[in-house]
Amino acid sequence: MKSTYDLSGPEDLAAAADWLLREAGDSKIWCIEGPMGVGKTTLIASVCSRLGVEDAVSSPTYGLVNEYRAGGQTVYHFDLYRLKSIGEALDMGIETYLDSGSLCLIEWPEIIQPLLPLAYLQITLRIFEDRTRQLICEHVC
Amino acid sequence: MPQTTILAIESSCDDTGAAVIRNGRLLSNVVAGQAVHEQYGGVVPELASRAHQENIIPVVEAALNQAGVTLQELDAVACTRGPGLMGALLVGASFAKGLALCLDIPLLGINHMQAHILAHFIDEPKPAFPFLCLTVSGGHTQLVQLNSPSDFILLGQTRDDAAGEAFDKIGKLLGLPYPAGPVLDKLAQNGNPGRFDFPEPQVAGLDFSFSGLKTSVLYFLQAEIKQNPDFVQENLADLCAAVQHRIVQILLHKFKKAVQQTGITRLAIAGGVSANSGLRNGLLQLAESQGWQTFIPAFAYCTDNAGMVAMAAHFRYLAGDFDDQTLLPDPRLALTAT
Repeated sequence: MKSTYDLSGPEDLAAAADWLLREAGDSKIWCIEGPMGVGKTTLIASVCSRLGVEDAVSSPTYGLVNEYRAGGQTVYHFDLYRLKSIGEALDMGIETYLDSGSLCLIEWPEIIQPLLPLAYLQITLRIFEDRTRQLICEHVC
Repeated sequence: MPQTTILAIESSCDDTGAAVIRNGRLLSNVVAGQAVHEQYGGVVPELASRAHQENIIPVVEAALNQAGVTLQELDAVACTRGPGLMGALLVGASFAKGLALCLDIPLLGINHMQAHILAHFIDEPKPAFPFLCLTVSGGHTQLVQLNSPSDFILLGQTRDDAAGEAFDKIGKLLGLPYPAGPVLDKLAQNGNPGRFDFPEPQVAGLDFSFSGLKTSVLYFLQAEIKQNPDFVQENLADLCAAVQHRIVQILLHKFKKAVQQTGITRLAIAGGVSANSGLRNGLLQLAESQGWQTFIPAFAYCTDNAGMVAMAAHFRYLAGDFDDQTLLPDPRLALTAT
């Protein structure tokens, strides 16, 4: 079942992050889709902030994965935008991260679709002409 | 004076590199995908740890051969400790540790971000201390004050995208192939940077932000394409010039602010984006108008390379600051950590 959350502007980000964390429940693998520039990294920064991450949350496109600490837990933030094949994802050891039991927030996840566990959280960030945004959240299983 | 010969290995991200430095003079600097590709034939895969495992021995061998140095002549072995991709760093560190152990020579774990800046000491002209360095690449944007080869102060860094990533991703919005930076730079040279104006983000202090620029380009294109589907194609050079101008201005404004704050007027750039013509020309013009000194290393020492790791290792060796077999790679290594 899909649920949605509407954002009128950046001031709604913290509440949207709280909503996502509630919707996610125990789900550790979050796939976050949406067009370039829509605000995926900004959304993740907000989620990390709600989780208590104090490190700077920046885009991991070049390094593929950022690792943050929040209290005793680890959060992995992926950006797989520049990967061209699933082999490259395996080369970077993506399975080790996915199986770690830590929260994995994945931007541009399309290329690793076959490596995802059976159950994961699918999040889509949409942007409308009036520049408002909508989050769509779905438990895939 | 005794000779100091160091082998350095760089494996923080995509490329595997090895270099040999003797008494601070670089004897070889090999990056997989270039010399190895030519010498050994076959396709060298681009990415990460498996590729590093395949590349590391031929790359080290090529670096030693080009330098005319044997393993027995080495006084130390260095590797990149971080920041970078864990799997990639582990390959370089494991290899370096093994080699140091079997040759019974010191081991040096080098900070990749410090090495980018110390690349300025490979060739003349070398900056005098203190100086300011803007390190700009696909993965990093940092403004740093150097008081000595081991005294780094982080003045500012990006809060979201790196400068190189901003070039690549905004280029993608304009329909350019990824990575778009070099293509965007080329197109921008035939464009009018004043035709479109993208806002400069307001970020306090010396930190940078580029994701807002990406979003404002997205908004702008959405609105224009609605009226004219061919808007991007018809205005591509001007759009590229405007984007390049804005990114460069964001970088230079902070550089200028750093000069005002520190009073230091020796300015250096490092990292792959140092190759961007807009940044080079903008920096040179700014410096000339203010009477500041600028330092831009050769391109081979700007992108990820082992030569810069070797240079950093040379300074660490002189300081007698060695690591031991407990050395562990750190994907999140901070600029000021060694």
